[in-house]
Amino acid sequence: MKRRRLESAALSAGCVVVALFILAPFAWMLVCSVAGEAELTRRPPVFAPSPTLANYAFIFTGQMPQDKTRHGIFVWQTSHEVRMLMPALRNSFIVALSVMAANVVFGALAAYSFARVAFSGRRSAYVFILTSRLLPAVAVAIPFYAIVQRLELLDTYRALILVYLAFTFPFTVYFLSVYFRYLPAEVEEAALLDGCTRFSTLLRVVVPCAAPGLMAAAAFAFMTAYNEFLFALLLTQTIAAQTMPVLLAAVATNPAVSHALLAACVILAIIPPALLAVVLRRYLTSGLIASVAR
Amino acid sequence: MTRPSLYPYATILPVMLVVAVFTVYPLLHSVYLSVHENVLTRPLDNDFVGLQNFREVVGGYYFWRSLWSTAVFAVMAVAAVTLYGLGVALLLNQPGVLGSTLLKVVVLLPWAIPSVISGIIWRWIFDGDYGVLNGLLLATGVVERYVPWMSQPFTARLCMVIAHVWKQGPLAAVFLLAALQIIPAELYDAVRMDGAGRWNAFRFVTVPYLKATLALVLIYETIVAVATFDLVYVMTGGGPADATAIIGWYAYTEIFRFLNLGRGAALAIILGLLLLGLVMIYLRLLRSEEAA
Repeated sequence: MKRRRLESAALSAGCVVVALFILAPFAWMLVCSVAGEAELTRRPPVFAPSPTLANYAFIFTGQMPQDKTRHGIFVWQTSHEVRMLMPALRNSFIVALSVMAANVVFGALAAYSFARVAFSGRRSAYVFILTSRLLPAVAVAIPFYAIVQRLELLDTYRALILVYLAFTFPFTVYFLSVYFRYLPAEVEEAALLDGCTRFSTLLRVVVPCAAPGLMAAAAFAFMTAYNEFLFALLLTQTIAAQTMPVLLAAVATNPAVSHALLAACVILAIIPPALLAVVLRRYLTSGLIASVAR
Repeated sequence: MTRPSLYPYATILPVMLVVAVFTVYPLLHSVYLSVHENVLTRPLDNDFVGLQNFREVVGGYYFWRSLWSTAVFAVMAVAAVTLYGLGVALLLNQPGVLGSTLLKVVVLLPWAIPSVISGIIWRWIFDGDYGVLNGLLLATGVVERYVPWMSQPFTARLCMVIAHVWKQGPLAAVFLLAALQIIPAELYDAVRMDGAGRWNAFRFVTVPYLKATLALVLIYETIVAVATFDLVYVMTGGGPADATAIIGWYAYTEIFRFLNLGRGAALAIILGLLLLGLVMIYLRLLRSEEAA
């Protein structure tokens, strides 16, 4: 029994160590986001700075934190980019929410047909959609740019939404069609016999049953669009359409970056996906497993 | 029910349209670009050059260098992600262990956030001038002065691998956890009856059951590691001395810095074929697992 208890203590310790490894970087960002720049540029830095909301205040209101004003022009330039965080987050949300909505609506429509309706060409259309994802992103970067340029959509939301739909549709269709196939078919057949069309069966019978699956699909689509970087970098040029990862990459690779301000940006930017990850973690986990295992 | 319904075709049309436009055309366009001269700074020279772009890529010094950097990074990253993922999965699979619930709640967090942000966070931690890692090591007396982690090839690679593991590990852990959970509990009871300890139970029950999933995770993580781009962009910019200029980054610089679309497209096709090869192995493994 003693050995048993020792083992379980060791396992608990392991869990705590891993949880620390996962959480510590977030915690340090949180600390930095309420620190003054001077406290972070000491050697070693002040590990528990006296908290201030000045960094956040600057992002929202443009009021310069006290300790920035004496640093001169370079910090001011970086700080100016940081002020674009809210517009960039707004762009990210518009794009990600559109991608999410289109995935749920069109993805569910298509997935249901693939799962339940017999039609000629079904198999090859399905295989075509799935294999399209085998193209690695960087390999199609130039042609994507060319398409978007020809459609005169450079630096618009629509370009990003289209590209992200091309990336997310295959997974959504695959994920939802697998999900729909696991639902009991009898209820749907009864609805069809009662004179419902395929569409109203989907809407009234399938969608309520598949709500968890739809939620997971929506969350995946949202996160993919919210987190994407390469194409956002290529296809946008100004803050009219630049998304959050593009803006933050620009801030972070600026040699004159203010780390306190950058940390505040990071904290604000990770709130949406972090919330999704914690709140929807059961759906996401089962969704992830389904995506590789089947 | 005499005439075929239009309903299924109407429902798959939007998805098919978007996917087709962004698959068929890019493929043709890439192939076209790769066999023509196409340098943006010389827009009028647009001759058909056959396989010259491919020859230039394969004959180039930087191509082999980046392949080497890619291989080094991929081997380190895949091994680390898989081991870490397995460890976390084993920890999560212990019901009733204190702390396992906490881990379950937070484990997806790094996976959920943009990889650009994970790069930003780790770059700041490893910063040679003001990084908190240096701060902690100095405060505890492990080092006497700050170490420029990101300025030396080996440590820069190591930093990237750590950031990569932090970000990608959760996914590997979730996959492996799923595989662990379908191992029948009777098997563990049986070996315990035979007097086997935890280690032997792990060796003779867990490992054989996990083999197929481990193979899948290995291949999948190889694909992810080879295609890594965001992390390089924000953490190192390919440096120091090209140590982290892995092939996805190299293709990007070829195209968007040197504006040589022809060579960029040739490189993209080579990279695409490389990844396609890995995907094929992956799919074959999947199928053989299903058959088993």
